[in-house]
Amino acid sequence: MGSSVFYQQVISGISLGGVYAVMAVGFGIVFNVLRFSNFSHGGVVAISAYVGLFISWNIFPSFWMAFTATALLGGVIGLLVERLVFRPIRVAGKPLTYFFVNSITVAMVAQQSLSALWGHEYFPYPTFFERAAMLVGGVFVVSQTYLLMLGISALTLLGLTVFLRITKLGIAIRAASSDIYTPPLMGVNTDLITGVTFVIAGMLAAVTGFFLGMTYSVTPFLGALMIKGIIAAIIGGMGSLGGGVIAGILLGVGESLLIAEVGSSVTPIIIYLGIVILLLIRPQGIAGKLTTVKA
Amino acid sequence: MAFYTAVLETTLLFSIFVLSVYMLSGLTGLFSLGHGAFITIGAYTVGLGTTRFGLPIWFCVILSVVVGLFAGLVIGLPTLKLRRDYFLLVTFMFGEMVRALLLWTAQLTGGAMGLAGIPYAAELPVIGVSTIVILVFVANLKKTAFGRTCIAIRDDELAAQAMGVNVYWHKVKVFLLSAAIASYGGGLLALNMTFIEPNLFNWLESAKLIVIIFVGGINSVTGSLFTAILYYSFGEVFRFAHVWRDVILGVLVILVIVFRSQGLFGAWELSLTWISSLFRKIRPAKSGG
Repeated sequence: MGSSVFYQQVISGISLGGVYAVMAVGFGIVFNVLRFSNFSHGGVVAISAYVGLFISWNIFPSFWMAFTATALLGGVIGLLVERLVFRPIRVAGKPLTYFFVNSITVAMVAQQSLSALWGHEYFPYPTFFERAAMLVGGVFVVSQTYLLMLGISALTLLGLTVFLRITKLGIAIRAASSDIYTPPLMGVNTDLITGVTFVIAGMLAAVTGFFLGMTYSVTPFLGALMIKGIIAAIIGGMGSLGGGVIAGILLGVGESLLIAEVGSSVTPIIIYLGIVILLLIRPQGIAGKLTTVKA
Repeated sequence: MAFYTAVLETTLLFSIFVLSVYMLSGLTGLFSLGHGAFITIGAYTVGLGTTRFGLPIWFCVILSVVVGLFAGLVIGLPTLKLRRDYFLLVTFMFGEMVRALLLWTAQLTGGAMGLAGIPYAAELPVIGVSTIVILVFVANLKKTAFGRTCIAIRDDELAAQAMGVNVYWHKVKVFLLSAAIASYGGGLLALNMTFIEPNLFNWLESAKLIVIIFVGGINSVTGSLFTAILYYSFGEVFRFAHVWRDVILGVLVILVIVFRSQGLFGAWELSLTWISSLFRKIRPAKSGG
């Protein structure tokens, strides 16, 4: 592989990795607060991909408007899922198992409803920009979509970090992440916190869905790409959002380099084997934060 | 008649899968989103053994169990020590990996085109007997000391550990048993359908197996089996509603978990004493009794 091709692969890998990172953070933020693997995230990703598709073809032809509207609606979808599916069992104090079962059910219902309704067709997103590619530094040709994805993913994650660090709600979410039982004693409204967490997760899912829809075409099976976010979350160490971001980008770069080098059919096998080996050697992931079962 | 026999065969085969998942999730509370991978492994071992290598069928079935056990060891040993979520996520990846592996080795396995020409050897009697044997095994395992220990692990891992239970080994044993049953069922599936393909069992199918257990009740083998039979026979008879039935199942699951989280059957089991008590009630009651 020539060096210019190599750098191009790295750049497209980084931008795809940015999307994986957003996915990993969306998955991780719910895991941090409620401590269960939220598979419904993949369902919300798939639904928002369709929502974004509809909006960008029928309502807002401009990328920015369509993107913002999709992200906001994703937040609404996330909140709806929380209120309808998770809140009843949370209020009743059910064990985590039921949260997990409900979350895979939501993913299943999302995928199967979408395939029942529009499953036989592949829908492409509209071309938002006239210029498909641009020259960076006079050497590399980079797809503009990829640059945009990278920029927006970075901005999204930066915005989230600022939100979690500075605002009162963000601090409350971080407090709930380390211990869900104590904040209510300090007068924090757990109901609100959980709702906001799911809104954030939903918005992140919508960002992912929109970008994945732009990169690939829209199918009900888009939600299954959540496996990339999950891999990133594991590599990063479950429960560490920063680790998930780094791992997501590493995964994107590694994946696109492997695809260029050994082909797309072996790549997933190598990645999955790598994960199993990583878990054997260093189960806490790269960020080194091991979540354990506490009494 | 042939159609209803086929429906019955498929339903019983899927009941075997549900029973294997019930063993894992109902007893230890572990969830495998890659259980379909064991079914696929069993099916492909039998398929490849009979079509490509010309091995005798009974040998292939045994081989499928062995290969399934080996895969279970590879996945189970590193991940069962960790928090349950890791096990869940790694099994999810394992399922995708097996699919990718089958597509990659297309020259041997036929890849996305699937594998055809497997002898039709698993007919209704074989499947029926297998289902009954596995059912009796699983239902009785629940009552043994081993089974009760596993349920203790499911309900409170830390407490079980404090009582001196080796949690890790119990989990490994149950997982391997469950993987063996799934692979065996997969082998029968191949011998029944005579055509298999890598997408036979994606994560969604594995998720369905878990979800079905929760409709019937995590504490009730009867409930799980009842739901499995209802769901899979319904699906075979009403093929046109194939996709919507999953939506219906999903909505049902959420309703059950929100309003009756112990499942439709709770902890109730169909047993011989219950059946005989039914007949006793029909007789006129003795006075004062």
